[in-house]
Amino acid sequence: MTLSTHSLVLDIPLREPHPLELAIESGQMWGILGPNGVGKTTLLHTLAGLVTPRSGSVSLAHKPLSDWHRLSLAQQVGVMFQEHQDGFPATVLETALLGRFPHLSPWEMETDADIAMARASLAYLELSALSERSVSQLSGGERQRTALAALLTQDPSVWLVDEPTNHLDLHHQVAVMRLLQRKAQSDKLVVMSLHDVNLAATWCSHVLLLYPDRPALMGRADKLLTLEHLQPLYQQPLVQGEIDGRLVFLPKPV
Amino acid sequence: MTSLFFLPRHLMTLLLGLLSAILIAESAWARGLCVEDDKQREVCMAQPAQRIAALSPGATELIYAAGAGEKVVAVVSFSDYPPEAKQVTSVGSHTRLDLERVVSLKPDLVLAWGTGNPSEQIATLERIGLTVYYVEPHDFEDIADNIKDMAILSGTEGAGFKAADDFLAGIQALADRYQSAAPVATFYQVWDEPLMSMNSRHYISKVVTLCGGVNVFADSPRLIPRLNQESVLIKNPEAILAGGMGERNAKWLEKWRAFPELLATQRDNLFFIPPSLIQRPTPRLLDGARIMCEKLDVARQQRG
Amino acid sequence: MIAPRYLIWPLLTLTIVSLVCVIAAVTQGSVALSLEQLWQAFQGQGSLLNQTLVWELRVPRVLAAFATGGLLAVAGALMQILLRNPLADPYVLGISGGASVAALLAILAGITGVFLSGAAFIGAVLSTLLVFGLAQGVGRASPMRLLLTGVVIAAGWGACITLMLALAPPQKIPGMLFWLMGDLSYAHTPWLAWLVLVPICFVLMPLGRSLNVLARGPMQAAALGVNVKQLERLVFVIASLLTAVAVTTAGSIGFVGLVVPHMLRLVLGNDQRLILPACALAGGTLVTLADTLARTVIAPEQLPVGVITALLGVPTFLFLLRRGRV
Repeated sequence: MTLSTHSLVLDIPLREPHPLELAIESGQMWGILGPNGVGKTTLLHTLAGLVTPRSGSVSLAHKPLSDWHRLSLAQQVGVMFQEHQDGFPATVLETALLGRFPHLSPWEMETDADIAMARASLAYLELSALSERSVSQLSGGERQRTALAALLTQDPSVWLVDEPTNHLDLHHQVAVMRLLQRKAQSDKLVVMSLHDVNLAATWCSHVLLLYPDRPALMGRADKLLTLEHLQPLYQQPLVQGEIDGRLVFLPKPV
Repeated sequence: MTSLFFLPRHLMTLLLGLLSAILIAESAWARGLCVEDDKQREVCMAQPAQRIAALSPGATELIYAAGAGEKVVAVVSFSDYPPEAKQVTSVGSHTRLDLERVVSLKPDLVLAWGTGNPSEQIATLERIGLTVYYVEPHDFEDIADNIKDMAILSGTEGAGFKAADDFLAGIQALADRYQSAAPVATFYQVWDEPLMSMNSRHYISKVVTLCGGVNVFADSPRLIPRLNQESVLIKNPEAILAGGMGERNAKWLEKWRAFPELLATQRDNLFFIPPSLIQRPTPRLLDGARIMCEKLDVARQQRG
Repeated sequence: MIAPRYLIWPLLTLTIVSLVCVIAAVTQGSVALSLEQLWQAFQGQGSLLNQTLVWELRVPRVLAAFATGGLLAVAGALMQILLRNPLADPYVLGISGGASVAALLAILAGITGVFLSGAAFIGAVLSTLLVFGLAQGVGRASPMRLLLTGVVIAAGWGACITLMLALAPPQKIPGMLFWLMGDLSYAHTPWLAWLVLVPICFVLMPLGRSLNVLARGPMQAAALGVNVKQLERLVFVIASLLTAVAVTTAGSIGFVGLVVPHMLRLVLGNDQRLILPACALAGGTLVTLADTLARTVIAPEQLPVGVITALLGVPTFLFLLRRGRV
């Protein structure tokens, strides 16, 4: 499956348009990097068909998103948001079960099989003990993992994940990134926005560098993650090193 | 097609209407207990009413005046006159009736207050099959007519007609006495906060006229105009008459003493009239009218 | 809250409670009727008086009370989902205010009966359109903007009502006050309310899951395949319809739309497939009980039912909030 964009210009005000031509294939794991406010989240939402672009289009499997039926699109594309709304009480299990929504018809009730899938997702993210807890009582990291559990239950072909490691401790960061990597390896398509360039360097096969003032760069992570590309991206002098054979970038102290 | 269909049906309706009109007229004539109520509807009874529900304090006074007091089985809150009425079962306030209680008392005649009782509730009573007579007197004649109608429906014509005639005679006596009296610009205060009076269509205004007074708010477009104190000062009435919250509560009048420029205040023409005698259109209005006429006469004497 | 059995038990319990309350309400009144007398009256036997009491007065009133409560509670629950705000309620949002203003205008114009109900419905719909239209402004209406607009519009309707009461001829005022206080003593036809409540509950059933998702926010809902705009529009129309019918049946009874859904969420969670039918049952039960109290507690004086719903609702709500699982 291919997720591609054609002359895509994001709907971000006061930005000179740099049309984006992307083609993401199943099995790849993409990281979107860029400074704050450059439009990482907007790009993810546009790729999911939730936000209309200023111009251009997004296609999934060579069919424009606007031609997809909403529900069948939701069976293929899953999104994890950065912010979670909970004005109403809901348990962790109920939240994980949300992922089954696109797979059931309006008159269907969730079956034991659906519940088993949700429980398996929670177990995978080490949330089983919390399954009856109200979401509003969770810590930031636990909520993040609950949202990911919902996505895991949804089991889409395309994973669009906004800042997957937010609020997570190091152990869970690794667990979550490994989960996403495993999904990419089992021929899913994974796109995530990241603010930590080192996570991208460690886990992503491809990166998309979104510059505020020039056209984006995209391609294999090992090609693009260099001081030459990253320093203008963050407008910050960086230093580069190698630990255990892994490339590491750190800001240069002033 | 339509007209062909329409014509016979139209005729049929007409015939049916005629037929029922004749039948009603016939049966009414046979019974002789038919009157027209204040909604201009014909109200008929097969025999004199035995159990009467009076759904406003005013209706209660009228039915007692009609001589059918013993037949009253239901009254509403604040039905305090005559005193016997207080012993009768109450069916709630006139704005919100306890319909079950009304129905369970099995009245054969309901005296309803068209503008005081909820129309939906009265409609329900009619639907159940009770006979409803609407009471809504607007002048002295209406009061007398109501009493006579109630007397006819209750079979107490003797007492009722006498009460009605006595009332009208009393009013006529006042009219005779004051018709050529010098006019007195009069402000009658219906309520205090908000300040209210009444226009010429209201029966209290008719009492003012009866006594040779001139209602200063007679031309007000609304039956019960809401006023501010300024509008009263501009009219500068010679006499101010007011009821009050209770029978001896003359506090409303005291407020006018703050305005020495008012003619009524200068001449001390601030008069209290017991509200129960005037703020209900019942035979007691005659007593209220007598008091009002006396007060206006006092005002004339104070011209010096 | 997930498997059918979790739906069936609460709904079964609520249905039984509702039935018991309805039967109790029919037995209570100014005239005490034993169950035996009641049963006779139901079969068309016993004294004519008892039959009249039961069939002409109590049953229509109890049915009207139940349906009104159900309508209001379901409308409240829908509004809350729509705005993602547990404070939303047809009254807070000015919908019932609009219905009341239109009804009062109709009364002043001398309109009665079905057309009066129609006017109230148009008022409710116009008011909702006004609130949503104004809140929309430029760009998307945020729930907070909607709520604030609703509160302001509701205050505006309040002023219109006061103005109309001040200008109305005195003989029309008793009939007008009814629309403001919420009163079932004037309700004579429960059928319209039932004709709306029952089909709407069926319409809402397949929407339950979409509403669950909508409660998590429009973005999340859209990402899971919900046509958010279409769903929001539908919910909006249904909530207006429910409110309008409730207002035309019994005037403006406050508090039910706010408290019933909230109480149920504290106890049953937030699955709309359960909450919406539960609201219909519990709202109906609350208003039925409240109206029974309103007509018996200081009989023969009758109270407006809105007073009782508030007096019953507030402490129950506070109690649940204290021991609840929020």
